[in-house]
Amino acid sequence: MTSVSDTDAMSWSKDEPAKVRVPWHQRLQPANLLWLFLAGILVVLIIAPMWTLVVSSFTDAKTGGWTLHNYVEAYGKERHITALTNTLKMGAAVVVLKLLFGVPLAWACTRTDMPGRNFVRYSVFGAFIMPPYLAGVGWILLAGPNTGWINKIWHSLTGATEPLVNVFSFGGLVLVTAIGGFFLVFVLVSSAFEMINSEMEDAANILGAGPFKTAMKVTFPLVMPAIIGAALLSFLGAIALYGVPALISIPARYPVVVIQLTEFFSFPLRLEVAAAYSIPLLLITAALLGLQKLILRRKGYVAVSGKGGERRIVKLGRWRWVLFAYCMIVVSLAVIMPLFVLLLAAFSQSWTTGFSLDNFTLSNFHYVLFEHSSSQKALIGSVGLGIAAATVAIVLALFIAYIVQRKLLPFSGVLAFLAVSPYVVPGIVLAIGFYAAYALPPVALYGTYMILALAFITRFLPIAFTTSSAGVRSIHPEMEEAVRILGGGRTTAIRHVVGPLLKRTLAGGWLLIFVPAAQELSTAIFLVGPTTRVVSVVLLDLSEEGELEKLAALGSLLLIIIVAVVALGMRYLGRDFMLRRS
Amino acid sequence: MKHVFAHMAGIIPALMLAAGLAGAAEMTDSEKQLYEAAKKEGSVTWYVSQTTTEFADGMCNLFEKRYSGVECNVVRASGQVIFQRLVQELQASAVQGDVMSTNDDGQMLQLKEQGALAQYAPENLKDMVPVLRDMADKENYWITSGVSPLVIAYNTKLVTEAEAPKNWSDFTDPKWKGQVAIGHPSFSGSVGLWTILMNDLYGWDFFEKLEKNAPQIGRSVADGHNLVVSGERKVALAPLPLILSDSILKKAPIAVVYPTDGALLPPSATAIMKDAPHPNAARLFENFLLGPEIAEYFAKDYRYPLRAGVPLAEGMRPLDSYTTKSVETSEGIKKLPEIQEKFRDTFGI
Repeated sequence: MTSVSDTDAMSWSKDEPAKVRVPWHQRLQPANLLWLFLAGILVVLIIAPMWTLVVSSFTDAKTGGWTLHNYVEAYGKERHITALTNTLKMGAAVVVLKLLFGVPLAWACTRTDMPGRNFVRYSVFGAFIMPPYLAGVGWILLAGPNTGWINKIWHSLTGATEPLVNVFSFGGLVLVTAIGGFFLVFVLVSSAFEMINSEMEDAANILGAGPFKTAMKVTFPLVMPAIIGAALLSFLGAIALYGVPALISIPARYPVVVIQLTEFFSFPLRLEVAAAYSIPLLLITAALLGLQKLILRRKGYVAVSGKGGERRIVKLGRWRWVLFAYCMIVVSLAVIMPLFVLLLAAFSQSWTTGFSLDNFTLSNFHYVLFEHSSSQKALIGSVGLGIAAATVAIVLALFIAYIVQRKLLPFSGVLAFLAVSPYVVPGIVLAIGFYAAYALPPVALYGTYMILALAFITRFLPIAFTTSSAGVRSIHPEMEEAVRILGGGRTTAIRHVVGPLLKRTLAGGWLLIFVPAAQELSTAIFLVGPTTRVVSVVLLDLSEEGELEKLAALGSLLLIIIVAVVALGMRYLGRDFMLRRS
Repeated sequence: MKHVFAHMAGIIPALMLAAGLAGAAEMTDSEKQLYEAAKKEGSVTWYVSQTTTEFADGMCNLFEKRYSGVECNVVRASGQVIFQRLVQELQASAVQGDVMSTNDDGQMLQLKEQGALAQYAPENLKDMVPVLRDMADKENYWITSGVSPLVIAYNTKLVTEAEAPKNWSDFTDPKWKGQVAIGHPSFSGSVGLWTILMNDLYGWDFFEKLEKNAPQIGRSVADGHNLVVSGERKVALAPLPLILSDSILKKAPIAVVYPTDGALLPPSATAIMKDAPHPNAARLFENFLLGPEIAEYFAKDYRYPLRAGVPLAEGMRPLDSYTTKSVETSEGIKKLPEIQEKFRDTFGI
């Protein structure tokens, strides 16, 4: 793999105006070395663990020789195929739901005069801060078939004995997965809406199109790249999530890929079979990315440049209340209801008893803060890892996105693919790749925070890359060309032009990574060592022991800390990335 | 004031008991030696699936109290998960756990055959209840560190004693449709053994019928217990000590049925890893598990104390007063993979 990077670095010189052969020592310019260095990091973060996986999928566990047997074992059972098709079905349903939640809300908050836009923005952000497995626990409390609050109320109202809603079902799985992730759709689509100026919409109006037709023919097509990108990320995020299926799909008896993978990872460990089982997911990502490219290539989408533009909001009249009602339904499902029951459970001795002073207690908080063996340290570890992973991933992604968008290297598409590819590797598989590559001697990182940090950086590189890439794409090269004309190098252009211009985007990206990294479960579950446990793992253990009240208390503490860091971050960066001009 | 005195009345015997304990727990010479060596190592890491986190933390606290200067780290997960982690570490030659405790002694036999365990006969073995001591490895590769019979739990608010199931096969009665909770044999060690036992008793037909009752499948047995406490499910497979301590100490609406076809008695086993990073602390810890502090701690939490002469908690029935069944260790290892596979095929997960 290093040989590829070498050729990349060499062909970098092709970008120079004069196509003469350059002596080797001149190729070792600081800029070239930087690209080499970046390529090296990508090798460490992505290629080495993935390569280990691919190789092991064709490796005979006993003899070490070449074999296809792992694939036979991975796909030779009907149940294993079912898990795969179930996952695709679930992923598709989640995408639809996330778009139904995210796109109208994004439009409502950025382009209309709907009341309560800031409230909706804050609530959507709340949905993002709440880890999917906590939302899952909230929904178990709400929609457990026999004791869920919704069902209890339904029973007492109607006298029925059958549950009205059951979280342990396909629908429950899809809903809980979607509410944990539609924030990404909201943010990506919102920022696209924000970037469009109204001149094109005005043109449509002048030519006689009404507001609805304008929205359909002009506004939405302009944000299509963002919607497609968001749909893609939503799908990949949904199929790779571990926590929600662990909570819901086992009782729902709806097997999905991540659960099937835990079977391969249980004793006797069949790493090779698991690797084989996860390869099609990688192929699906590649296909989806290709599809996205194909769709977007056919049309020019550069509607955003360094020039300012007027952006006007749509007056909805009485429809604004309809839209508001819809937004309220979405945020209730996603945040208000699960958060409310979760907080209530955190202060309850027994969550089923409901509100009453007798039932009130602070002992759950005392337990998780001072008595539980690992939760206190886990809180610190999670936050520290979140900060480290977000910072490193953003810096790295900015450089890669710049190379890719400006086509500074041949095969930059490969770099883009690499940077996005970790997203589809189910966290557990990524963890095992990392485990195989780095846990053992000579690297021997098992049981350290370093291996978690590296894995988190890799896992969130796609988000960092997507954010940075969208940002770089929105900047017209003319400004950097000005730097180049005046004699500045690429690095100067990045430092003094691209970086500052993207400060807000990058800050947003940082938060987009910090929050999920501080809650990360899917990768952490196999990489935590005895003394490096993170909150998510402790929470999952509590759920497995059925300690929902204590879980709710620890979850609430995690939420409070994340909110505080996010608030600090926003303050330090000067501007609130969610609350744009309104 | 009366209140205070009532409390005092309880405290005084407790104090006397504690004083008696302190006397009984004078350190022996070999213990002192181990302690000194353990202090140099600084800590012990305990991989445990035998108990809940809360209970294991309590045991660790007692250990740290007795042996100040030796830190005790609990790593708790369900049986198969802990085992898998350890096997992973063994393959990586990066063993981090010093001591492991599980409810599936089959795991211990496998580790022993791999040569992963250290041989050790703790001093306190001599004071153990003989029946329990004899359940362990004859060559001292592991000790018995507890017995938590798996029994039937039911919610007392939703089910009367008369209605409650009497034996395991009652779980398949259609009247419990949507009301049974069980664990998963691929996650929980003791559920694995239970699945084998049911198959031995009733054939796979038992699970075909159970499947029609749409049981809620959790990962561990503690999960099912809590589902019954909350009323989400009416009956479940659950470990006896959890049911007793919740119903007596926390007044939770849960009660126990000792199934007439036999409570499953999986002996919990504890072993020291051959490559334990802290071998002396590990020995000190294993010996401590059989000591008087833990015996008292077990008895208080409605577990069977391991030491002879420690009285059972009130409300606990002696082990020989009801039917219990065990799965032979080597038998368990042989049958488990196939049983897990069948379970997955039947329940689809």
